[in-house]
Amino acid sequence: MKGKLYTDKSKNWRIVLVRLLVVMPVMICFTSCTQDESVEPVTQTPYIFEEVMHFPTRLNIPDQNPMTYEGIALGRYLFYDGRLSGRDHPDSLMSCATCHIQSQGFEVSIDHPKFTNGHPFGLPTPEYPEGKKTPHMTMPLYNLVYNSSGYLWNGFIHETNDKAGIPGYDFMGHNELNYKYLESLVWMSIVAEHEFAGSIDQTVEMIASIDKYKPMFKAAFGSEEVTIDRISKAIAQFVRTLVASNFKFYKYVRHEVELSPSELRGYELFFSEEADCFHCHAGSLLMTTNDFYNNAKDTVFEDSRDRFAVTNNLMHTGAYRAPSLINCEINGPYMHDGRFETLDEVIDFYSEGLVYSDYVDPLMKNVREHGVQLTEEEKADLKAFLLTLTDHELLTNPDFGPPSDIGEYRVR
Amino acid sequence: MVQWRIITMVLIFGLLTGCDSSEESAGYGNLVINFSHRVDGSAAAYDMMIYENAAGNNYEISEIQWFISDVTLIDKEDGAVVLDNDWIHYIDTQIEPSLRWAVAEDIKAGEYKAIRFTFGIKGEKNIPGLFSDLPESNMIWPYPMGGDEGGYHYMKLNGFWMKDEIERTPFNFHIGVGQIYAQENNITGFVQNWFETTLPLSGFTIDSEASKELRLVMNVENWFVTPHVYDHDVYGGKIMNNQEAMGKISENGADVFSVEYQGE
Repeated sequence: MKGKLYTDKSKNWRIVLVRLLVVMPVMICFTSCTQDESVEPVTQTPYIFEEVMHFPTRLNIPDQNPMTYEGIALGRYLFYDGRLSGRDHPDSLMSCATCHIQSQGFEVSIDHPKFTNGHPFGLPTPEYPEGKKTPHMTMPLYNLVYNSSGYLWNGFIHETNDKAGIPGYDFMGHNELNYKYLESLVWMSIVAEHEFAGSIDQTVEMIASIDKYKPMFKAAFGSEEVTIDRISKAIAQFVRTLVASNFKFYKYVRHEVELSPSELRGYELFFSEEADCFHCHAGSLLMTTNDFYNNAKDTVFEDSRDRFAVTNNLMHTGAYRAPSLINCEINGPYMHDGRFETLDEVIDFYSEGLVYSDYVDPLMKNVREHGVQLTEEEKADLKAFLLTLTDHELLTNPDFGPPSDIGEYRVR
Repeated sequence: MVQWRIITMVLIFGLLTGCDSSEESAGYGNLVINFSHRVDGSAAAYDMMIYENAAGNNYEISEIQWFISDVTLIDKEDGAVVLDNDWIHYIDTQIEPSLRWAVAEDIKAGEYKAIRFTFGIKGEKNIPGLFSDLPESNMIWPYPMGGDEGGYHYMKLNGFWMKDEIERTPFNFHIGVGQIYAQENNITGFVQNWFETTLPLSGFTIDSEASKELRLVMNVENWFVTPHVYDHDVYGGKIMNNQEAMGKISENGADVFSVEYQGE
């Protein structure tokens, strides 16, 4: 409908589902009839997204990749299978779950046994025998289905990104691998030297050689053929199911639990002009605006992967996405470069550690006072509130964990 | 006799439908409202410290985000045509498509003498949780500061001013529901700061089966002038819990908007 671009409920999940229900049988017919007429027709079951109150109704699910239970099941296996690296030697296993650990809020965590201080690095290469460090810290993978503002710390992955990818592959309806979709992050991880340091063809060949996957690809996509397009789609489907909404504060909003006096004081502080967390970390109950801010951490900017690198707007120098605070209790280290190890350090920073630069976001209105100047009691209350944002169900939900029969190639 | 009755009924029916036809001949047209933001008569320039307000503050604008609602055309007989079933439109200077609202509903052709709208959202509509999707949801006015009828900012005008003429300092010129404090941190009531504006139109018509464009202009400098000279050095960078500041802004809003259209 004209003029209704921003609250158009016509794009809500119900419509997406209707589209799914209409499109799926057609797709099934095409996939089962045109690719291999000798195979039995397969039935795919559309995945039904449950609406979450106070969460966005607009879902970021590309038309090219409708979600099905079969696709999600395949994606879950691939997510945890270390052979996604294209190699099966125990020292060369890597998959999404290597750095996105369920029990750690789908991040690395500060006390990871291998990645010191929570800073991951890629598989060894001749140039980087110890593995190259990632340019930024990992970001959590939950609630990505609600994010249409771009993925990664700088929003580089966005449908409007027309940067040339790798030609020669059919991918999401394009004839090259591109940087537009959540799906794009899969092939990018495979080839990035600070991640799998592998190749697309090697990974496709490896996955295609594993008998277990043949019926799963057929169930998900209509034939056993393995392509980077299908691998990416399946993993993206699984990741889109990772929804974090069962945290204490959300239950408080639903009138299911009470907050303690300290948590309540912290809640009021969080949503006050004094502490002013909410302008960047609220809106919906995602606990982020998914927008990008220079939050007054630095006066010198040398990172080539900030928001400026995406928009070329000078005022976006040193700006990064405000991450969701859901599970902030456990998914440190904090900030894009992991400079803060604890929540206390983060609170101290916003209280008295801000530094002015010409690029600071105007929402950092206390920057000239170096922060919001919280008392020790206020800091404790604010922290108590932040701890109500932990979704323990997400961390232990078996549907999001590794398949029990994935075997020795499961990454940990 | 029966035949005459039938003939009479047919004639009456024809007369009635004939009247309907003449109504329909007036037809319906479309309206597009464009939104502009100006300072001192020119298109607002962003991220440049080039403006001076009535209080003598040098300032720059980073972004303006605001809601307009209850947009209504008033016809010559004082009839009101509320556009798009009470649609609440979000305007964001950084989101180009939001600066153009193509009214979805057809509008009865004819001459209209005024356009009336609410700056912000009236309390009974401004309920928490009204918006769940971006970017509107990012306009949240937190419950502790707004209560049941203060769910969203009316406007965020973000920028910087030269504090005490020497220090570039951020300001959040944010307006929404104000609070009444009995004592510090003890809110005893709320103040609705939305306001209605009516702008006269002269010779403005909606033409049958045609699309008309109208431009609504926010003249930013007027937020700071009449009847209250607004001084950033006095109110500082944050005013969401400062009803004195927001009340003045609300009153200053009376002459902030103007309208332009073809044939004016």
